[in-house]
Amino acid sequence: MSEKTPFFEIRNLHAKTEDKAILKGVNLTILPGETHALMGPNGSGKSTLSNVIMGHPAYEVTDGEVIFQGQNILELDPDARARLGLFLAFQYPVAIPGISVAKFLKSAADARFGQGTIKPAQFIKQLREDMKFLEMSEAFINRFLNDGFSGGEKKRMEILQMLTLKPVLAVMDETDSGLDIDALRIVSKGVNRMVGPNFGLLVITHYERILRYIAPSHLHVLIDGQVAMSGGPDLVKEVEKNGYDWIREKFGKEVLV
Amino acid sequence: MTTAQVSAEGAYIPGFDESSLPANGNQPALLQAKRAAAFAQYCEVPLPSARDDEWRRTDPASFPFERFSPAAPLSPLTEAPAPGPWDSEFDVVVSVSDAGFHIQDNAGLLADKKLVVETLADAAVRHPDLIERYLQGPVRVKQPRKFSSLGDAFWNFGLFIYAPARSVFTRGVLIRYHHTVSGQTVLPRLLAVVDEQAELTIAEYYESPETAELLAISTREFYAGRGAVLRAASLQEWGARTFHIGEDWARAERDARVEWVTLLLGGQISKMMVSCDVCESNANAYLSGLFFANDNQHVDQRTLQLHSSANTYSNLLYKGAVKDRGHSVYQGIIDASPGAIKVDAYQMNNNLILSEGARADSLPGLEIDADDLKCSHGATFGNLDASQLFYLQSRGLPKSEARQLLVMAFFEEVIARIPHEFMRERVREDVRRKCGASI
Repeated sequence: MSEKTPFFEIRNLHAKTEDKAILKGVNLTILPGETHALMGPNGSGKSTLSNVIMGHPAYEVTDGEVIFQGQNILELDPDARARLGLFLAFQYPVAIPGISVAKFLKSAADARFGQGTIKPAQFIKQLREDMKFLEMSEAFINRFLNDGFSGGEKKRMEILQMLTLKPVLAVMDETDSGLDIDALRIVSKGVNRMVGPNFGLLVITHYERILRYIAPSHLHVLIDGQVAMSGGPDLVKEVEKNGYDWIREKFGKEVLV
Repeated sequence: MTTAQVSAEGAYIPGFDESSLPANGNQPALLQAKRAAAFAQYCEVPLPSARDDEWRRTDPASFPFERFSPAAPLSPLTEAPAPGPWDSEFDVVVSVSDAGFHIQDNAGLLADKKLVVETLADAAVRHPDLIERYLQGPVRVKQPRKFSSLGDAFWNFGLFIYAPARSVFTRGVLIRYHHTVSGQTVLPRLLAVVDEQAELTIAEYYESPETAELLAISTREFYAGRGAVLRAASLQEWGARTFHIGEDWARAERDARVEWVTLLLGGQISKMMVSCDVCESNANAYLSGLFFANDNQHVDQRTLQLHSSANTYSNLLYKGAVKDRGHSVYQGIIDASPGAIKVDAYQMNNNLILSEGARADSLPGLEIDADDLKCSHGATFGNLDASQLFYLQSRGLPKSEARQLLVMAFFEEVIARIPHEFMRERVREDVRRKCGASI
């Protein structure tokens, strides 16, 4: 592990929205092949962190850096970050009536891999396979993006996009919220297909449940805009042995419901 | 800027007085009489002015009438014109240009007398009963209007389409207008009758070169008889210096259905009126519109959903975008006559404002003299949705591409109502082109 250079590093990140400081110096480093879990109570800044990483215009970064693929991505537009291989699975994916799933995914894949790199027939074949893997009906291909989708269908659509766009680093913003156990299993299956030596993952969650499906190598607890605790495999081992109850006791029961 | 003035002889639009009426000797008596009646009406109706509600946002004086003179009546072309890319999709193709017109019978339906597509002059001889009954007929339920009367009196190309009872034509008729001569007013006139339980699709396409300065004054009448289905789509792609005033009328009888799509993409100033009367029980009207005013284009549309009978249904969706210094106006009226109970009428106008200097006005309205009915209307204005934009960008789409995709998505609901796929694709191309490289 030690010979790997961090390819994703959050340094002293401060951000605010509408004059309210939310992130107050976040530090977090992810190496290739690692899966990090980030927990924290409501209002601690988890979703703000994911939005700032992706470049949401509603947040203003007041200090710090996010280094990805050797550059400070805070200077880049969201689309440029995505083309570098960054992916955010949204907590609340928006519906876009008027754009079909197929058209959207093809446009996104063209943007990520270059226009004309993927042949339409090959693209559709892969898409069908991925949808089958995620236990989605092929009828979704022609539906408008997230329009009238259930919560579980939207989350599966997020994972389908991740499989299609093959990011290098993915942030999952409470993807598990509102999912029943079946949908959670399918979503986790998709994520685990991505996990490998060249992929980094940051799983933001409020629930212990998902961590049984997506085994983290690192744990972090975010409290009031700062990482209050970080630990690697040793900590994970301890959690595996003794459970998560002590985290709740130490940081409050809202950290991990 | 000049003004349409009341001349000494009467309330004439410049260029349209007695001396410019088509010569009587060249046409059947029935048409002479119809034109004479229309001309009398035209003289009676006062000139529209910017003080009228309907013209407040599009000053009649912004049409340079004095720079145009009426085009001569069109004759049949001696040779078939070059085919258009969509001709093979239709049973009948009518080409109209400054040189003349041509009617192409692709499927032999005209020869077999299964479908009628002919000039009004021919129709007045071959089907005088139908012309007597429908031309300037019961569809004109409202007060006489200046430009409808003008069109009725002065048209220089008149077409009659008739689908006999119980005949079904899903491919239908394409009429393409291609005008190139600057300084002319072209006056197309269309009368289409779909008789009981018949089904017909009519597509119209208007184009002119970017540099041609011309004026079109058109008026159309559509009749859907009992249980009939009439689908009409018009795609206006005039060049940037073409002006257009259009007044169109439709009427749906018992159990009939009118699906009417108006696509306004070209032209400099367009002032259009669409009126549909659902006049008998269980008649349905689906009125759809798409407009996009960019550069210094001005598009003004007025729609009338007339419910002159109880138990009738209308659904209207008009979507528009404005960009650069473009200006759009939408005025919608739902008019339910006394006693028109159990009416279900819906009217929605959505507007996208894509640039600081662009403007969209929307004035939905209700005129209701009945109880026990369901009428709803609304209008929305706005730029593109910021969270949708962020979502698309987060998937790698550059901002301008994401914005363009959202504009396309905005219009897709109306585009889906266009009956022909080639026309849907054409409109998508037009919208993309009008969005431009940076929006």
